[in-house]
This record gives sequence, structure tokens and C-alpha cells, in this order.
Amino acid sequence: MPEANEIILELKEVNKSFGGLLAVSKVNLSVSKGELRALIGPNGAGKTTLLNLITGTLRASSGKIFFKDKEITHLHSYQISHRGISRTMQITSLFSGLTVFENIWAAVQSRKKFFNPFVRALKWQDVKEKTESMLELTGFKDKAHLICSELSYGNQRILEMGIALSTEPDLLLLDEPTAGLNSQESMVLVKKMRSMLSGQTIILVEHDMGVVMELADNISVLHYGAILAEGPPKEIKENEEVKKVYLGSEHA
Amino acid sequence: MFLQKGKSFGFILIFVLILLGLIVTPFFVDLFYQTFLTELFVWILFAISFDLIFGYTGLLSFGQALFFGLGSYTVTILIRQFGFNTELSLLLSIPIPMLFAWFVGYFSVKLSGIHFVIITIIFAIIGNIIGDTWTSFTGGSDGLTFSPRPFRLGLFQINLMDIKGNYYFVLAIVAIFYLFLRRMIQSPLGKIFISIRENEERAQLIGYNVQRYKLIAFIIAGGLSGLAGGLYSLTLKYVAASYLHWSVSGHAVVYTIVGGMGTLIGPAIGAGIVMSLEHYLINYLQATDLVVGIVLVFMVLMAPKGLVGLIQSRFKRG
Repeated sequence: MPEANEIILELKEVNKSFGGLLAVSKVNLSVSKGELRALIGPNGAGKTTLLNLITGTLRASSGKIFFKDKEITHLHSYQISHRGISRTMQITSLFSGLTVFENIWAAVQSRKKFFNPFVRALKWQDVKEKTESMLELTGFKDKAHLICSELSYGNQRILEMGIALSTEPDLLLLDEPTAGLNSQESMVLVKKMRSMLSGQTIILVEHDMGVVMELADNISVLHYGAILAEGPPKEIKENEEVKKVYLGSEHA
Repeated sequence: MFLQKGKSFGFILIFVLILLGLIVTPFFVDLFYQTFLTELFVWILFAISFDLIFGYTGLLSFGQALFFGLGSYTVTILIRQFGFNTELSLLLSIPIPMLFAWFVGYFSVKLSGIHFVIITIIFAIIGNIIGDTWTSFTGGSDGLTFSPRPFRLGLFQINLMDIKGNYYFVLAIVAIFYLFLRRMIQSPLGKIFISIRENEERAQLIGYNVQRYKLIAFIIAGGLSGLAGGLYSLTLKYVAASYLHWSVSGHAVVYTIVGGMGTLIGPAIGAGIVMSLEHYLINYLQATDLVVGIVLVFMVLMAPKGLVGLIQSRFKRG
């Protein structure tokens, strides 16, 4: 658990509507540094929309989003990336024609400013070293020169996390990392996540309650775009309302 | 694949050999083929500038004809109307098309897919219409002729009215810009272009301002297309509104697809093959475009990565 409750991300009265449909409604959410916050809720509850609002992929209809005490509500997603928020997608999003090495490289390089367009990329020793250490951390060292579409699906999910991590984010958003994996593969992924992501502040959207209960420090439950309940896993497990709308009897 | 090591030496060797071959060629072929090769060099430059925006950045631009034509007109009008020397007019055939590319790109790079294709065609059509109607300035479809003064660089001087001189002149400039582009592709900037081609959303999410980099690629490609246009009019000592026609961009598209997009050598090989094919076929039939079209369809179906891709995959297999 994190030391002190230093708040890193704060959403204030955030709304998002698509036409007449209110996808996210009056969401207030604070995430502390070092926390792993799970975001759960039925399909269509607005979880991914909420992530899209945080990363600037979508613009909030109203309300404000603060990150490290600065407002980021109206920034573009590449700007938000430079402020320190990184994410993975529900549907794996990689540079699929490039090698594993190049995928990580692209993310590491994004933290570097350059003014000379004629320097050879490979001569950047620091980028190279950082890329190699990320390959080690993610366990892709011996797969570095494979084209990433040749990786297994589970490994592609891990690689995407590695890319997201390579931008050295202060906050990492994971959108259903176990989607499409069988339970065994999920276990492997969770184990990997534990070693890769220790100490990282994370918002995790996830359907697999086993994974959520195991990893999360706190859980926020979304229902029809609004926050229904919030608290540590134990509390959420026993919350009657949550049971009714989401967990159902089999999880209780 | 953008990070490859250990190929520099091999590349330099092959590059120097090809260059030496091309340097001695004029002593063995007649003036007709010297002109043919000079034009080929120009089209190679045009095709690789197009490949920067299409093969590397992933944007299919049919607007390159506009910048090609603008480069041609820059050179012609500066020499003919304003009495500029050859060096300066050719130099300006880069920044002037770049300014237009900035303008066109500002509106175009926000669009993707077919919308981008269409808007770039539209800009080229507008350019062509202006070229066709503003005859007092552009010469319209009759065009303008001119005689450039010798190109001087310090004590060095080349007479462009001489076909062999013109050949070496164009060869030198195209070789320099080939190396320039190769270096740029290997630079961090090149890596960003490739990342955008591979996955725009991901590039944006790891912090690249995708639209800005697309615009940069578009402006650089525009400048190089302009230079190709400038060299073309210096070679033919002529320009006409038809240079602005969007179908001129089609040449670059065909060369790049046949040779292999996303490589620099691909468009160069493609240009060589297609232009030679057209040249030999014209002796036997009029509908050379038909044959080129069939070759294109065949390549798209059988070898979508072009000849270079075909050779590469052969190498890998065994």
C-alpha cells in the first residue's frame, strides 16, 4: 500500500455524453500515488470511456480532470502522454509490422527531444540501453528480433504493457489486460504484472474478478456511467448493491 | 523494420559500384539513352520523395504532381522571366513547393484513408486548372521553353545545354538526395514516420504529435518532389501545365508499388523497370499503359510488397 495519500489523479464531476446518451455521469474519482485501483462494472458501464477521457482520446462534455495538481481536461493525448499517463487498449494496439525491439524503442525514444534529424537513431546509446533494460524487464530479451505479430496473443498483451511502461509513466491505465486469455494465460499475465509493475500507480479495468480481488488496493464500481460504490476489495465484495448489479450471487 | 545494423558497409559498396557504373555509362551509350537515363534519375527522385510520404508515413498522396509542377515552374519562370541564374532557381525549387506543401498539408493530414487521397487529388487538380488558364504566366498547355545558363559552383561549372553535362548534373543531385533520404529514414525522425504508418493510435498514445509529424513528412516530400520537377524542366528546358496534372503523381505510385514501398531502392528499381518496359513496348504497340496496368495489377495481387519484398522473402526462405 502507498505511503500517505498523495493524490495523483483527480476527476471532478466529469460528464461525457454521446448525443443524448450519458456515458459517464458526474464521476468523482481520486487515485493516490502507488495505488492499484480497479474499475469494474457491467458492459457499457462507461469504464473504457472513462479511460479515454483521462488519456484525452475523448474530450469530457463537462467537469475537470487534474493530474499531479495540473488540469489536463483539454489536452491532446500525446500531451497527456508527456505529462506521465500511459495506457494499454482493450484490443491490443502495437506497431504490428515492427520487431519487439523496435516497438519498445519507439516508446523509449518518445521521451527524448532531438534537434538534429540526421543523427543515426542507433547511435543513441541511452535509448538503446533503456530499450534493452525494458526488454529484460518484460522478458522479451530473446524474442527482441521477432516481428511482434508473430508473438502469441498473451505475449502481445505483455508487450503492450512493456510499451506503455517504456514511456516511464506516473500513472498506467490498463484496459482489460486479460481479455481474450484463458485462465491459465491470465495467471501467467498476472504473475508477470506483479513483477513488472510493482510500485506503479495503476488504474485497472478488468472483468476477471479473481484478478481484480488479487491485485487491487481499491475498487470503484461503475454502473450506467456513475460511480456506484468505492472501497477496498473486501468491502466491495460484501456491498449489497454491487452484488445486485454486477457481481451477482456466484461471486458473492 | 527500422533498426538494422551492419548493413552500412554493404550499402556503401553497392552504392559506389552503381554510381561508378552510371558515371562510365555515357561513354558507351548514345545521346538518346543518355537523355532517357537522365529522365529516369529525375523520376527516381520523384518516386522516393513520394515513398517518404506513402511507404514510410502511410499517406497515399496524389498531390505530389502539384509540387513537382511547382518546382518545374519555379525554375522555368525564375530563369526565363527574371533572369535568375541556374543555381539559385534550382535551389528555390525546394522551398517554394515546400511552402505550398505546408498549406496543402495543413488541411490534408487531418484526414486519413480515402479522404486524404481525395483532398490531395483536388489540390493537384486546382493547381492544374490554374496552370491551364493563367496562360500569360504559365504558358498554359503550350508551356514555356528556356535556356539555362551553365550551373556554377565555385570554379566548377556544368553546361546544361550539353546532354552529357546534364546527365552528370542530374545524377549527382539525385545521388546526394538519395543519401539524404536514407539518412533521414535511419534517424529518429524516420522512426517516428514508420511508427505512424504502423499504428497511428499507438504513436499518439506514446506521446508523438502524429499530425505534426505527418505534416513534417508531407513538407519534406513536397520539397523533394519540387526539386525533381525543377530538375525535370532543366533537363527538357521546358515546362507545361500538364506537369501539374494529378496523373503525374500516378507515375510515382506505379513505380513505388512495382518496386516495393517502404524502401528507397524499391521505387528506384520500379522506375527503372516500368520506364524501360514502356520504352521498348512503344515500338510494338500504342497501348503501353495497358501493359503497365496489367503489370501493376499483377504486382498488387502477387507481390504486394513489390519486387524488393519478393526478393527479401526469397532470401529469408532459403
